[in-house]
Amino acid sequence: MRWRPVACVVLGVTAVVCSVIAATAPPSPPPAPPPAVSASEASFHSVRSYADVAEPVRLRIPALGVDAPLTHLGVAPNGTIEVPADFAVPGWFDQGPRPGQPGPAVILGHVDSKAGPAVFYRLNRLPVGAVVFVDRADGSTVDFRVRGMQHVAKTAFPTDLVYAPTLEPSLRLVTCGGPFDHSRSSYLDNVIVYADP
Amino acid sequence: MTPAVVILVGAVLLAGCTAAPSPTPASAAPASAAPHTEPMPGGPLSTTAGQSPADVALQLEALLGQHSVLVADMMRSRIRNDADFAQAASTAVTRNTDDLTAVVKAMFGDQAAMAFRTTWSEHTTAFFNYARGIAANDTAARDDARAQLVKFESGLGDFFAGASQGRLPPAAARSALTAHVDHLLRQADEYAARDYGRAADDYRTAYSHAFGIGQTLAATLLPPDEAAKLDQPSWRLRSELDRLLGEHIALAVAALRAGATESPDFPAAAASLDQNTDQLTAAMGALFGPAAGQQFMQLWADHIDALVGYTSAVAGNDGAGRQAALDKLRGFEGKLAAFLDTATGSRIPSAELASAFLHHDQMLTEQVDAMANKDYAKAHELAYNAYQDMFGLAKQLSVAFGDTVAAQLPQGGAETGAGGTAPR
Repeated sequence: MRWRPVACVVLGVTAVVCSVIAATAPPSPPPAPPPAVSASEASFHSVRSYADVAEPVRLRIPALGVDAPLTHLGVAPNGTIEVPADFAVPGWFDQGPRPGQPGPAVILGHVDSKAGPAVFYRLNRLPVGAVVFVDRADGSTVDFRVRGMQHVAKTAFPTDLVYAPTLEPSLRLVTCGGPFDHSRSSYLDNVIVYADP
Repeated sequence: MTPAVVILVGAVLLAGCTAAPSPTPASAAPASAAPHTEPMPGGPLSTTAGQSPADVALQLEALLGQHSVLVADMMRSRIRNDADFAQAASTAVTRNTDDLTAVVKAMFGDQAAMAFRTTWSEHTTAFFNYARGIAANDTAARDDARAQLVKFESGLGDFFAGASQGRLPPAAARSALTAHVDHLLRQADEYAARDYGRAADDYRTAYSHAFGIGQTLAATLLPPDEAAKLDQPSWRLRSELDRLLGEHIALAVAALRAGATESPDFPAAAASLDQNTDQLTAAMGALFGPAAGQQFMQLWADHIDALVGYTSAVAGNDGAGRQAALDKLRGFEGKLAAFLDTATGSRIPSAELASAFLHHDQMLTEQVDAMANKDYAKAHELAYNAYQDMFGLAKQLSVAFGDTVAAQLPQGGAETGAGGTAPR
């Protein structure tokens, strides 16, 4: 039968391989497992204390000389994001993650007012690698490093990239830029800074 | 017969050596075999029918994370000289290698899959040999295994770098794989030294790192237009949920096995499970607010306590305790499903979720039963399936979570300027 030589080879290899395993087994058994545990599963209780992240209260960007308290922002009745009433004060979108929580925390600031420069006037000059600090209500601080910047038309604002949940802690800083429509007193673009811990 | 075929024949034969006192990974080639590291031409990439490239990327992450856990379990069983468990663990490692090879085959074809499988199997064998060196207190064997691993990681790094057609620098690929080796060897050394706390930390680190390698590889192996999809928030949300829920399974299995066998590493394994619970809760808190985070944590803790209670009852042959734990689990499943139904605005039907959680818990408790009965093959099969099963649930949850949050997001740009003086 034609398969016999193959079978012999296979069986021969099997014997050799098994012999190798047997020959390479340790000559004596390793140490026995240590004695039984003192703190057994009977006394185990799963963690139940929720470690909340405190709300952000202050934004500091040394490279821009920004050091300002934070206000809270939500969604306006027309579905757009609210903006800070005070041009010197940035605002945190409080319906999204807090800075340091899993996901993108979003902070907005004005670039200017009719009276002159505002808190994020030089945001578009913030270099990659610059550090952004966010102080929190419990006295803790979380810092982020700028990863990149994007100039986008407001009509093509990337809602997903800015706000959508990712579970990766990150920070977005948003202001206005680009051409200015004097008839509407509104910039056509937004400047978005992306920063990671 | 080509060398690769010889190696595979040898691997099949190794699986038949059940009488061997010292089992090795069933797919493994002899450690002395030369690695085959050249990627096959053809370039990126075709995927299996019905699977998007983004799905393949998630699969790669999940399988590499699972590889880390299974290899660590195999090494630990060898260190304990638990031959039966080691045999089952090595079979699970082989199944994982088969699944990884299928992914490589779908991406690069048969030849590349064969080359990958050979080197990957050698790599898993070297981990086993390292653990054997620890168990035998044979420094030379450990050093030899480490040297083999360095060689194989270099070969695998070159394989992936070549397959990426220049998008993954060889040095970066080798560095990532070297770190993978370091994590697994370190956890084995710590486990052998009975430093269970550090061993558990490195077990987690090894899992997360290996999972991350999957993303790095996918980002460079997929065509650029497909790889760009891995930056989309929806994909990243699903990937992170995959990582956390996959880790939950891995750590729950580790803790329950330690509990079922009254192993001294139970406290460390349970502490790792707590860390995963903290991270899952942080995710829920960020998605749905602090109150929801707190509520989720209580439910999740009930779930874990019931699983540990079940394990304790099985270990103590306490039939009433076992039934009480099962009753608690049945209650948990409905409550968590109702919680998620509410949190997501009924984007996932509560009954469907409850059924998924029931299936999840049943696999875990049956896995405990199998461990108690020393049916390690069944225990590994159940754990393997429970891990894979979690990713279907993670997909459903990530879609529902993403849609729920998206429905509440502001639309359009921000009116953050009024003067027309902004620097250009």
